Amino acid sequence: MRRWLLLIAAAALAAQACGGGGGGGSSFNPDNVSGTVVLSGWQASPEEGQALNAALAGFKAKYPKITVDYQPIAGDYPTAMVAKFSAHQPPDVFYVDSGVAPDWIKQGVLQPLDDWASSRGFDTSQFYPGYLNAFKSSDGKTYGYPKDGNTLAMAYNPDMLNAAGVQPPASYDDMMTVGAALKSKGMVAYSMSVTLDRILAFIYGDGGNLLSSNKKSDAIDSKFKDGVSFYLNLFKMGYAKSPSQLGVDWNGKALGEKKAAIIFEGGWLDSYMKGTFPSVPYKWVAMPKGAAGQATLGFTVSYSIGKDSPHPDAAWLLLTYLTGPDGMKIWTQGGVANPSRKDVPAPAGKDVLVNSASFAHPWSFIPGFSKVNDAFNNAFEAAVEGKGSVDDVISKTKSALDQQLNQP
Amino acid sequence: MSVTTIPRVAAAEPQSEPVVRRRIGRGAVYAILILYSLVVFVPFLWTLSTSFKTLPESLQLTFIPQNPTVQGYITAWTQLKPALPVMFFNSFLLAFIVTVTNVFFGALGGYAFARLRFPGREALFLLVLGTLMIPDQLRMVPVYQILVNLGLVTPGPQNYVGISLVMAISATSLFVMRQFFLTIPYDLEESARIDGAGFFTTFWRVLLPLSRPALATVAIMSFQGTWNGFFWPLILLQAQQHWTLPLGLSQFRFQYSTNWPPLMALDVVATVPIVILYLFFQRSFVSGLSAGAVKG
Amino acid sequence: MLGIGKARGSLGTERAQEALAGYGFIAIPMVLFLIFNIGALFYSAYISLWRWEILGPTEYLGFRNYAFILRDDVFHTAIKNSLYYTIVVVPIQMAIGLTLAVVVNQIWRGRSFFRAAFYFPAIASSAAITVLYIYIMAPDGLFNHLLELIGVNPLGFHNQGNWLGHSDTALNSIIGLNAWTTSGTMMLFYLGQLTAIPTEVYEAAKADGAGPWTTFWRITFPLLRPAHYLVATVSVIGALQMFDQAYIAGGSGGDPAYSLMTMVLYLYNSAFRQFEFGYAAAVGIVLFVIIFTATLVQRRLFGSSDWSSAR
Repeated sequence: MRRWLLLIAAAALAAQACGGGGGGGSSFNPDNVSGTVVLSGWQASPEEGQALNAALAGFKAKYPKITVDYQPIAGDYPTAMVAKFSAHQPPDVFYVDSGVAPDWIKQGVLQPLDDWASSRGFDTSQFYPGYLNAFKSSDGKTYGYPKDGNTLAMAYNPDMLNAAGVQPPASYDDMMTVGAALKSKGMVAYSMSVTLDRILAFIYGDGGNLLSSNKKSDAIDSKFKDGVSFYLNLFKMGYAKSPSQLGVDWNGKALGEKKAAIIFEGGWLDSYMKGTFPSVPYKWVAMPKGAAGQATLGFTVSYSIGKDSPHPDAAWLLLTYLTGPDGMKIWTQGGVANPSRKDVPAPAGKDVLVNSASFAHPWSFIPGFSKVNDAFNNAFEAAVEGKGSVDDVISKTKSALDQQLNQP
Repeated sequence: MSVTTIPRVAAAEPQSEPVVRRRIGRGAVYAILILYSLVVFVPFLWTLSTSFKTLPESLQLTFIPQNPTVQGYITAWTQLKPALPVMFFNSFLLAFIVTVTNVFFGALGGYAFARLRFPGREALFLLVLGTLMIPDQLRMVPVYQILVNLGLVTPGPQNYVGISLVMAISATSLFVMRQFFLTIPYDLEESARIDGAGFFTTFWRVLLPLSRPALATVAIMSFQGTWNGFFWPLILLQAQQHWTLPLGLSQFRFQYSTNWPPLMALDVVATVPIVILYLFFQRSFVSGLSAGAVKG
Repeated sequence: MLGIGKARGSLGTERAQEALAGYGFIAIPMVLFLIFNIGALFYSAYISLWRWEILGPTEYLGFRNYAFILRDDVFHTAIKNSLYYTIVVVPIQMAIGLTLAVVVNQIWRGRSFFRAAFYFPAIASSAAITVLYIYIMAPDGLFNHLLELIGVNPLGFHNQGNWLGHSDTALNSIIGLNAWTTSGTMMLFYLGQLTAIPTEVYEAAKADGAGPWTTFWRITFPLLRPAHYLVATVSVIGALQMFDQAYIAGGSGGDPAYSLMTMVLYLYNSAFRQFEFGYAAAVGIVLFVIIFTATLVQRRLFGSSDWSSAR
């Protein structure tokens, strides 16, 4: 049975290669495309649901012959999607988180999009590179377009900072002084995660890197170590505490419950604070500068088309609408998400976050990265508990990374 | 300290032994039990009270909302996709089917494994046990592909056939029934067989009525397991209209925040049927075999 | 007089009919198991020999997956955690479950209420319970407050009062939670068998002058052997596969410091975070072997557990 499917898939691929792509250049006419297209993603908050419906209404107005069947997935998205992929029955258009993009690209479940973009005319130059590159394979092919993007920035409680007579820190050195000042007033300066998806921003800030630019080898060096040491030091000095040490499940709650004065999170903080802690004041400011300048992490999700999608043309139209300037504008104008294109204006109050995209590094690396992530996180937590040193963290991460790089 | 009193089928008789000592002992026992029960209800009480709170307040460990509101329930009612009655129906339908199949096949199979002799019986039972040792996550992909090939993973009603097949019988049900049947003295079946009853009749007329406590156990566990089950509905159900309650519950949990009041409201509503069912079934846990069955 | 004479009379067809009935009664469950469980196991055994990704096999590996697993430190930690968890949690669960069942069976007033109350943790939403538990065990949570009330200062402990978040105490904290929540189900198992013990047995014991403690240990406990076997087996099999709470409390990485990495969590990660189905299948086979061995050992220890009749 398995070999059957492989043969069929191979034959289809061959046919496609000979036949010149999904419809060729000149024979593709958007007005002739009709039918149903299945859209999927994970469960959105009601506000996101409304924004998405508005965007889909805009799509319907532009392409009345195409019906969108929205089938969201509740709960564990990757698990449910993998089941569908393995049965060759993916949705037509669906979300892909930048963290899993390298794996899904490598395993061949996503449709490459460059040929269509050039033959059917879709402008990808306006996407922030930090976001778009997350969905490119190691040989430069694109497999998805970012539907929005988020970066890490610094959110702080102005009242708490004023009580200690300090301004938000502008550099890593500042962070130490501010930390000391707040600590002397009996406050916890920073609620900081002990996971790579926050710490890496500081590593980048100190000029460190996980991977070489061609993503073929690890680039862990002394600057990487500097970033890690700095971060760990904040804990050792008592300026920073982890969320679990503060008795909360994430940094946003620490800010809301005033257990910490400064946190490093992304745009998702806004709807959380508005809904759960409406009376706690906070302000956004860009990440402080490290030894190598400003750096932050960019988290993004793409819309992608399934390789086995039965409706590729309709899927393409939906994809390019939602990630094009018109669809994205509708999607982001209410503030539920930040645009990933430069030609879509930033929603009110999100300037800091959107502007940070210009120095954001994508959170997307190599296939099998989750093991490296786990290795780093567990080693770092051990170090925070005093059970390991920075060198242990470095060596464990390096060996996990090398192992993944050496996989075929 | 004396902990137990002997159960009696008839009404409790007053004790004639050292009454005072017994009373204090019993009082202490009851006090501990009541305390334990209170502890047990604490999570539910918190769920209940949080369902009446506003979102900012819902994060606190208080038991009495300061500004009680039914907004949580309204949100749950209006925002849930599919609508709450639909989800309720879906959950109930699936749980009902799975419970009936588990009880029937569990009892029938349990009887066979406990009482009927056939070659390879013990090895086959070990095989049955073996099915418990395969985590769902491991068998997910092959199960999914089999069901796809059978055409049972589509947005249509066949979807429920597919998911019912996967959950139709659990080794635990067989195990519980088998262990129970092992405790029933063989004399009862003996009399029935001598009277000329076939195997199925013996099972249906003689043993099944006696096994109410075990049947109740299987029924409760199957129903509750299906009602609260998340994994297979997540993987197998294609259309949102077919979602069961746990999938609906996840609609209020997001990556960084959870909308507690409607989530708790839904929790409360989802727990009520289970409690009712349990109260209904637990009357089956009656002490002692019916008088006369053994002695006849 | 047991019916041995009758059976011997027409042994051939009698036994044949009995065997036929036996096979017939178990037919449908066995078919379903074969398709959805055993079939899946063989499938996993097959793909564990390959590098098998979402869309299918890419490379034949032989036993390399297994070699890799056995060398992986993280997997060693996972086995250690799962075994430790099982060895500690199962006796506790059984003891609590049995105690609750015996108590509920004995008391007269409010019996229905207590029966419902004790089973409640198993019914109530595990989301609420787990979240509540995380709150209670937080550094500034209820549990530490209670400790302070009795004069203990948890913040001075090695884990700084962070029970679920510190690698030394995280697993034990999960044990505390699960032992309590699963005891309700164990109680149910025991109750089912307990209520089947005829009261005449107790009356005879009492007539012989046995006190309650003796009655329990000499009469009730041994009579529950089939239940013990059931409860112990199901508990061990379940405990070795503990996943949900580890995932909720520790995230998919088994944080902190892999203290919450269990075998099934490791399997889950291989399949759904690294998308390596072949490797995950190999993990599954190893897990299966471990659980199967544990079950066989238990069977040896508890005997064949047939309580009455040698049938």
